[in-house]
Amino acid sequence: MEAIVYICLAAMLLFGILAVMHHSILKSAIWLALASASLGVLMYTMGAVWSSLFEISVCSGLVTVIFVSAISLSNTDKGELGKLYEDKKRMSLLPVVLIAGGILLFAAAALQLFSVPDAAPAAAGAEDFAEIFWNSRQTDILGQMIVAITGSVAVVALFKERDIL
Amino acid sequence: MQPVGIITVLFFAVPFMVIVINTLLPRHAAEKTCLYMAGAVAVIQIVASVADFFFIASSGNDAYEFALLWNLKNEGAERLSVDSLSLVILFCIGMVALISVLVANRTIENKRTIFVDLLMTLLLGMNGMLVVTDLFSLYVFMEIIGLSSFVLIAMFKTEEGLEGAFKYLIMSVLAGVFILTGLSFIFMHTGSLLFRDVSSGILNGLSGSQSVPVYAAFILLIAGFSIKTGAVPFHSWLPDAHQSANTAVSILLSGIVIKVAGVYGLIVVTRLFSEIPAVRITLAVMGIVSIITGALFALKQDHFKRIAAYSSVSQMGYILLGLSTGSTLGLLGAVVHIFNHATFKSTFFSNAAALHEQVGTLDINKMGGLQSRMPVTGFSSIAAFMSTAGIPPFAGFWSKLLIIMSLWDSGFEVAAGIALFSSIFTAAYFLRLQRKVFFGKLPEKFREIREVGGSIKFAEILLTCVNIATGVAFPLALIYLKGRGIV
Repeated sequence: MEAIVYICLAAMLLFGILAVMHHSILKSAIWLALASASLGVLMYTMGAVWSSLFEISVCSGLVTVIFVSAISLSNTDKGELGKLYEDKKRMSLLPVVLIAGGILLFAAAALQLFSVPDAAPAAAGAEDFAEIFWNSRQTDILGQMIVAITGSVAVVALFKERDIL
Repeated sequence: MQPVGIITVLFFAVPFMVIVINTLLPRHAAEKTCLYMAGAVAVIQIVASVADFFFIASSGNDAYEFALLWNLKNEGAERLSVDSLSLVILFCIGMVALISVLVANRTIENKRTIFVDLLMTLLLGMNGMLVVTDLFSLYVFMEIIGLSSFVLIAMFKTEEGLEGAFKYLIMSVLAGVFILTGLSFIFMHTGSLLFRDVSSGILNGLSGSQSVPVYAAFILLIAGFSIKTGAVPFHSWLPDAHQSANTAVSILLSGIVIKVAGVYGLIVVTRLFSEIPAVRITLAVMGIVSIITGALFALKQDHFKRIAAYSSVSQMGYILLGLSTGSTLGLLGAVVHIFNHATFKSTFFSNAAALHEQVGTLDINKMGGLQSRMPVTGFSSIAAFMSTAGIPPFAGFWSKLLIIMSLWDSGFEVAAGIALFSSIFTAAYFLRLQRKVFFGKLPEKFREIREVGGSIKFAEILLTCVNIATGVAFPLALIYLKGRGIV
């Protein structure tokens, strides 16, 4: 199980760097979603089922949908955005970030900083997950649905350039 | 499913339906019909909250607990609840939404569909916040209210609107961070965020150092919800946001949003932390400072909407004072003042819409003598001013009386005295406004001005009737509450 923790940490680092460094804002949003999904898996592995649920559904799912909608509706010239994000100094710092991240991961593994709980959620079974999702957190499902609708309306209200009439 | 359950579902199903219909209709048809649909939603909300109130009262229960559709047959899965307090505020939401729609009919020409969609999400957020029984869900719905309000202020993309929305967004994020951090401290301590688990006995069995996270949670939650309330010293965003928004949106923000997102959150916090003595003192001090500071700032303003906004800061102080007593009488006074404030503040913003449409400015120094040209607007404004100042027989008199009585009963004699004498400040800033706008010499350029017509005039008349009727009939409500042993 601990291997999954370190794989997730490495994936988060990689996807996070890609999200920051990529020239296309659309692809950056997708890399960010993958970084967030890795964090969700990490939380689930470490026993924080509720947090993982919200991380995956809200941060990785909903926020990405809103980002992509906003980008597509704002009609910004992708070429111009690409130019804005071209920054050679940041590119030169990339190896430093990768090496520092690798050292931190290696140190964490050597010192066994991340211990996976005995009753990991995978062992607890899918039934607990369903119980939490559908029963204990039912109001948050309603909340998430409304957040999704509000986010969509907000994107249309603020980013749609064409007048309604 | 019981009738009360079916009615309660309407609070969510109807706004959802309007968003779906708005999306499915052709654009031009949606633009023409959406305000009528929004008005119908507000009326349904008013009727549903009244019906729910009487169903629950006749059943002899304090509250009705229910679950979402897929859990209806699941015993013990109830995670939503409506009680008398939430139903009174649900009624206020319906009333303020109706007034906002009536005013929007004259003040919003374009983007009506988007306004209505955002109004529906705002209603869903506010309704949700009032029926949840879990602190995290409360936070989720509070954020929905914040997001909808932010976009409502910014949606017309004026420079003022964007600036006001930006300030609101920054303060909302700060409030969110405070509240979320406070919730994590509570979760660390109790392992649950359900209201019933986070009980008032939260400090039981804790030593001095162990109770630090609980006190930290208390401070963070009070600060977070006070930002949303616009109470001093967290009030800086409120006048800018309320002034810069379209008047139909200002009505929503000042009339109900600060009460649901802020005051209702504070009510929940005071219930959960009632054993901590600092709760009462903190709210009392914030209440007094808000009353005086809000009134003094209102005295210095020259913009009609800005005076109304600072007046909201001041009036929130009275509500905080009612909550600070921790007594049933104080809570009743606070809830009645929430209703009254929703009524008279909506009247002031309807007056602002009328003046802006007919006179073309909201600078009170450029107006004068308009009572003779706009008698309905003038009278409704005076009635709202008298209610705000707590002058009988208007509705505001009763709520302020209940708050001052509860303060006296709870041993806060000094606070009661300050609350009583602060009405002089309220009278001062509104007398200045009335004198500059409606009395004095009518400038030559305003000779041809006529009373506002249509839906804004209807909103002003409706709110004034509610204001006077509540003031006259309130003794009957007190007799009913005394009969039920509530006061």
